[in-house]
Amino acid sequence: MRGFLPVLKKEAVQMIRDRGTLQFALLVPAFQLVLFGLIDTNVKHVRTVVFDQSRTQESRQLLNDFVNTSYFDIVAYAPSRAALEEYIVAGRASTGVEIPPDYARRRLNGEPADVLVLIDGSDSTVSAQALAAANGVAFARSVTELAERAGAKDLPIRTHPLLLFNPDSRSANLLIPGLVAILLTFSGTLLAAFAIVRERERGTLEQLMVTPASPVAVVLGKLLPYLALAFLQLLFVLFLMTVVFRVPIHGSLLLLLGLAVIYLFALLSMGLLVSSRARSQMEAIQLAQMLLLPSIMLSGYIFPLSSLPAPLRLLAQVLPATHFIAISRGIIIRGAVFSDLWQSVAALLAIAVVLVAGSTRAFHKTIS
Amino acid sequence: MREETRPGAPGPANTRDYGILVEGVSRDFGPVRALDKVSLHVPRGEIYGLLGPNGSGKSTLIRILCGLLVPTEGRASVDGLDVATQGEEVRRRIGYVPQRFSLYEDLTVLENLDFFASVYGLKNAQLKERREWAIGLTAIGPYRGRLAGQLSGGWKQRLALAASLMHRPRVLFLDEPTAGIDPVARRELWNLLFTLAGEGVTLLVSTHYMDEAERCGRVAYLYLSRMLVEGDPADLTKLPEITPEGTRRVEADCEEGAAAVMSQARTLPYVEDVTIFGNALHLLVEAQVPDARIARDLEEAARAKVTIRPIEASLEDVFVRLTRLQIEQRGDIPAAAEASR
Repeated sequence: MRGFLPVLKKEAVQMIRDRGTLQFALLVPAFQLVLFGLIDTNVKHVRTVVFDQSRTQESRQLLNDFVNTSYFDIVAYAPSRAALEEYIVAGRASTGVEIPPDYARRRLNGEPADVLVLIDGSDSTVSAQALAAANGVAFARSVTELAERAGAKDLPIRTHPLLLFNPDSRSANLLIPGLVAILLTFSGTLLAAFAIVRERERGTLEQLMVTPASPVAVVLGKLLPYLALAFLQLLFVLFLMTVVFRVPIHGSLLLLLGLAVIYLFALLSMGLLVSSRARSQMEAIQLAQMLLLPSIMLSGYIFPLSSLPAPLRLLAQVLPATHFIAISRGIIIRGAVFSDLWQSVAALLAIAVVLVAGSTRAFHKTIS
Repeated sequence: MREETRPGAPGPANTRDYGILVEGVSRDFGPVRALDKVSLHVPRGEIYGLLGPNGSGKSTLIRILCGLLVPTEGRASVDGLDVATQGEEVRRRIGYVPQRFSLYEDLTVLENLDFFASVYGLKNAQLKERREWAIGLTAIGPYRGRLAGQLSGGWKQRLALAASLMHRPRVLFLDEPTAGIDPVARRELWNLLFTLAGEGVTLLVSTHYMDEAERCGRVAYLYLSRMLVEGDPADLTKLPEITPEGTRRVEADCEEGAAAVMSQARTLPYVEDVTIFGNALHLLVEAQVPDARIARDLEEAARAKVTIRPIEASLEDVFVRLTRLQIEQRGDIPAAAEASR
């Protein structure tokens, strides 16, 4: 371990002196947090255009039902079916409602009345929620009317849905705990890769290798300050999350921080792995991209794991991000304790051990 | 041309007498042989010059001796220790100043020196004493608080030298230490090297400058991965193939038109070799051709007076001549040297 302390001290001085690294570690996460914190994936106020051929009290009542869900905003009235479709094709509205001329008559006669609802299917999030909301409107109105006709005071079954952990369905509560993991993935991997590649690029690694400093001491001394920096970043992000975005941590903060250290070891090893291949910082970025992209797309951060095809789901299991996102969401959103999370913890630990061992070997090979 | 070492080089020797001992060392990079059976012996306290065009294998040899590369074959020892098997012990005793500045540009002069000293395990009073010694030797004191990246080329090189001396190395490797620095800084750096040699440090210095080569106790000339010649610079100029029997060297001092005279000289049947030095040409001519005839032939082209006087071969003549003979013999094109880098 000769050379460990000098390298550690030198690296810390360099890190603190390098504005770019500090900015990368602290400003970038803050910016991303703001972006994601403000995004709301709940679809509300879908622009809606109406072709009402009935123009009766009944048709107006139906349209009111649509508006009252707050999912639909009527932005225009179309004079014809063609005009209705044109609105959607042109992208000026995402939903079109066509009420036929005989709507009121059929309703009053107790016959089924047809209403055409056109939904722009080009955005799956919007269309799915608009579809559900439109069905809901028709269903609710039908049920009420049937019940009235039957003289029933109450519905036979009443559901009382309760959204656990996130009663307001705030996207931030779901996204930010995942984002914590993703931000660490970026900084952990890239900071570590840069730390080594920079020395190689500048020739200083070679200068170190002619001294009696041991390669392991050099690597550890170089990576430890970045472990500290990444940890600092984690604290900063958690602070912003709880104080600025009001996403509470329901579980144990200590457990989260402890497991984050394991995660950081896995990430720094990935960075080391990248650095043993990359000759320049540019190359390091490209190589890291190959590891980081799957971490974003396949880890469950954006798409639920269940939506992945089987082979990708398998790949997701070997990504450390997948397990840390499960842990982070578990602790922050659901208040999970260690015994709830042991499977993710075991997987993360196994991946970390393999990565640490593999990357130190790869690094050894490249310098000798 | 003979491949083995020149007269004057010692035979199989006791490792301990030599600062650096290289015996039949080769190094391959894939199919490319970067170094081919090179042998050299550097007594302790000597400054040994390594010459040769870019890509001839100088850096490869130095990197092998520093333990950065493993030789494909052959044996090398530094300060009596085998480079391959006693690498760690070797690293404690050597200093290495690479071609490119390789200290931390975002650390100050003092921080760089302290860092390298502490990597070698120096602490507190000992570290301070060594640091002040290195600062005194290289006179870098006024810049101690400055970031290394803000130093000029010459001062960077002094800092690199100072950093490599913190642990009192017995052997110092310098890979083109004076490339790209001004003549005054160059001279001062060489004065430093002599001071170190006087203290018993063995130095291996690669260079492209002939005046630096002439200051070395011994020099080796590498060409296309092979060592063409090795020895005392003064002895090398007297080698038979440099000025073969039946030829002699003369200087033709032209008042003007030296370039035109050179073209003319190349066409003369009795001229074997021409090199231009400013307004003068160095010619290798058949011995029996008198000065007067050479002068007359050259004046035709110069349309001015040409003065002929006999000269000794210079070190540059030695390397130029040997390279030419090598090309003729092997049919190599010099460009091939680049590929072996």
